[in-house]
Amino acid sequence: MVRVVDVKKDYHVGKTVVNALRGVTLEVKEGEFISIAGPSGSGKTTLLNLIGCLDKATEGEIFIDDEAVAEKNKKELALLRRRKLGFVFQSFNLIPVLTAYENVSFSLSLLGLSDREIRDRTMKILEEVGLGGLERRFPAELSGGQQQRVAIARALVKEPELVLADEPTANLDSKTGKDILELMAGLNEKHEITFIFSTHDPMVMDFARRLVLLHDGRIVEEKSREA
Amino acid sequence: MKFLLALAWKNLSRHRKRTIITAIAIATGIAMYIWVDSMLLGLEKESERNLVWYETASAKIMEKDFWKNIDYLPLKNSFIPEKDLIGAVEDSGFTWTPRISFLVEMYDSEGSLPVKMIGIDPKRDESVFRLKETLSRGKYLEKGKDEVLIGKNLARDLHVDVGDVVIVKTRSRLGAFQTMDLLVTGIMDCPNPQINNGVAFIPIDVANRALRMEGRVTEMALHFPEWKSPEKKVAELQRKLSGMQGTESPGGKNLVVESWRELGKDYVAIAEGKRGATKIILFLIFIIAAVGISNTMLMALYERMGEIGMMRAMGMNDREVKLSFLLEAGGIGFIGSLIGIALGAVLSFYMVNYGIDFTGMIGDMDVGYRTSGLMRGAWDLKVFVVAFVFGIVASMLVALVPTSRALKMEITECLRSEL
Repeated sequence: MVRVVDVKKDYHVGKTVVNALRGVTLEVKEGEFISIAGPSGSGKTTLLNLIGCLDKATEGEIFIDDEAVAEKNKKELALLRRRKLGFVFQSFNLIPVLTAYENVSFSLSLLGLSDREIRDRTMKILEEVGLGGLERRFPAELSGGQQQRVAIARALVKEPELVLADEPTANLDSKTGKDILELMAGLNEKHEITFIFSTHDPMVMDFARRLVLLHDGRIVEEKSREA
Repeated sequence: MKFLLALAWKNLSRHRKRTIITAIAIATGIAMYIWVDSMLLGLEKESERNLVWYETASAKIMEKDFWKNIDYLPLKNSFIPEKDLIGAVEDSGFTWTPRISFLVEMYDSEGSLPVKMIGIDPKRDESVFRLKETLSRGKYLEKGKDEVLIGKNLARDLHVDVGDVVIVKTRSRLGAFQTMDLLVTGIMDCPNPQINNGVAFIPIDVANRALRMEGRVTEMALHFPEWKSPEKKVAELQRKLSGMQGTESPGGKNLVVESWRELGKDYVAIAEGKRGATKIILFLIFIIAAVGISNTMLMALYERMGEIGMMRAMGMNDREVKLSFLLEAGGIGFIGSLIGIALGAVLSFYMVNYGIDFTGMIGDMDVGYRTSGLMRGAWDLKVFVVAFVFGIVASMLVALVPTSRALKMEITECLRSEL
């Protein structure tokens, strides 16, 4: 599904070069529920952004479904994100002028589906994430947990191959965070969608069936729950 | 596209405060543009009308040399409006009136002033000019009476009023000095300041007798309804006159027909010059409007960088993101332009029907335009259309800059902005 081969990423902050990733190699198989863990500044978000085609690697290669993302142009990358990828962000990133329903159906509208299909799929996923009856609310009218559920529904409604969640529970209290993780794990099992999420929270790491530990831009350890 | 339109509409209707503020900025610029244009166009139209109604008529027939020396009004270059000439004029669809224009020195008890005096046929003149309507005191001229009609500013400068007698000194056609005692029979308050300031009118038969004209006139003033575009009609008549070889008309070939544009070329030159200044004023208003629009649009867009980032992350390509913001900006432009032209119409309506009186500010100052202090507007439908389209296009153009800038940023950079 995803292959990351010796990827490096440098950022230039003024005259200083920050090596966010220093040669990461990783393979993620279809249907995996994998957590990228590590302290702040270890390169978790950078790695997710590169896999999600939101940023470009300085060196190395990333393949999604055996296609090198570096060879794609802006338009092709947009199409790849539209069809295959779903994102869940730490700060939810919902569009404030759209209701919960509209935020979720947004992804489907981009796919050019019929109004009826958009409605059916949106209502179904909102029900599934526990937001039935709240579809007309605006983000400001929802709690943090509910907003993150909208974000998850938005990522999943288009049935992507891969969902990238960047610290999805960081802005939530521990109970809500746990609920969200259970929801994600359940959806992973039910829809067989590959999940890669980053965290530095031990409780979150426990949920992962595979754990990749990052430190200073390098993978320092990999654990598998089954193993 | 349907989805993008719906998204633009949602953004417009849900960012209501921002939409209203931006639309008001656009509306103000557009209304100002329409208002100033109406005022300037009104000024130009009224000037042209006042020039034709009170000063030049639609056109004039004169002796070539009279026209050449128009500043001196040489009476020796006069002509008799013979039958064939009149026939040619009337056959061409003109109404006409004879005039004798000459220079005089007009005396009051304290001194004298140089004045342009015009002998007119009181009855006939009404078919070409509208002098009678400008009479503010006294009565209009009567044939055969030694009377004079003068403008209110000239009357003030000469310290005379209705019922007073003024002495006029001039030279006859043959060069002999001639004086006349003329009774001030009426005072005119003409919207054309040139008439108010330095022109006096007497009956043409009185002028004919005193100046030894023997039926000659210095000009035939012509009127035709299509005076706004006089060129074709004037050229047609000129061709007719040039072809006249008859003995009856002394020098048919020496007569020239000049349109009001030529006769009032001092005004036309000023108007042309001021048109440039007008464009600068309108351009400045355009800049003010554009800055207002771009400012609010820029603020609105910069605070939505996160949203742009999210749209891109979800798979919208650059073209779609740009289009969604352009549609939104176009929507604001549409609302603002609609309000702007409605406001502009109200302002233009006021200017056309009531106007603004600048008399207190400019007084009798001659600023080149043939208008009084009351400035009236004119309807200019073309500008309404232009302003409406401009409002929409300008809004979209100014939205293009920050959107393009946001699209040049990395998606991750956009996402770091708060939603």
